[in-house]
Amino acid sequence: MTEELQKKLQSEIEEYKQVQKEYQKLCSRRQQLDSQLSENTIVDEELKLMKTGNEIYKLVGPILIKQDPIEAKENVKKRLEFINSDIKRTEEAISSIEKKQEVHRNKLEALQVQFQKAQMMMAQKAK
Amino acid sequence: MSQVSLTEQPHMQQVDLTQLNLAQLTQLKQQLDQELSVFQDSLTRLKIAQGKYQESNESLDKFTPEAEGKDILVPLTGSMYVPGKLINTSKVVIDVGTGYYTEQYIADAKEYFKRRINYVTEQIKKIQAMGQEKSKIREAMMDVMEMKLQSAQKEMAEKA
Repeated sequence: MTEELQKKLQSEIEEYKQVQKEYQKLCSRRQQLDSQLSENTIVDEELKLMKTGNEIYKLVGPILIKQDPIEAKENVKKRLEFINSDIKRTEEAISSIEKKQEVHRNKLEALQVQFQKAQMMMAQKAK
Repeated sequence: MSQVSLTEQPHMQQVDLTQLNLAQLTQLKQQLDQELSVFQDSLTRLKIAQGKYQESNESLDKFTPEAEGKDILVPLTGSMYVPGKLINTSKVVIDVGTGYYTEQYIADAKEYFKRRINYVTEQIKKIQAMGQEKSKIREAMMDVMEMKLQSAQKEMAEKA
């Protein structure tokens, strides 16, 4: 009886750990996106502040390539949109995995209580 | 470079610490510790960025019209330099992030660095304020945990 419970408990813990790992991965992804967003926002602002006549270059590998200002601005804007939608998606994933975590935690707690009860019963029987 | 806003936790709600059990408190403490170390990390990185911008800004002071035509040493790698001549002291090219470089007049470049320094300084202030807030919460939590532990021990002692 307790052995069975122990097995259940163990597999539940494994699952919980898995979910936690995923959660952490998503969180760091979210952070990464955040810093990308702020970096691109800054670039967007800087490009807007640029005086006409000054060149814009883009680093491609080891060389700087001259860019059309309008194209560069549009590029950054597109990237901003992309990052924003990615953030939204990641956030949704995070909230769904948070719920999953909660469910696992509750299950674990219930199992632990059961396990302790079973152990106490065994102990009493042994007496 | 990370930007942090003060209104980031939408799922934050008021919780009476004394209502939580020890397991929940430990979990919360872990979370807080993690957050605090992230703050510390960001602060160090922001300070490094601040220093770099400051350095760049200062080195622009040497870019005067009188310096045109002067000999310079251009670093090819961290430890190798080749001689060169300054042929243009009115414009510089600045890395504005994400691989984009813009050509700027010296005055504009200085403005750029000033903007960046201000921005970074602001972020530092924000994070410091949040860090203090979290530290306070953490302290309060430690007190509650201490209380809970003591009362739990008492109970155990009485039962025994």
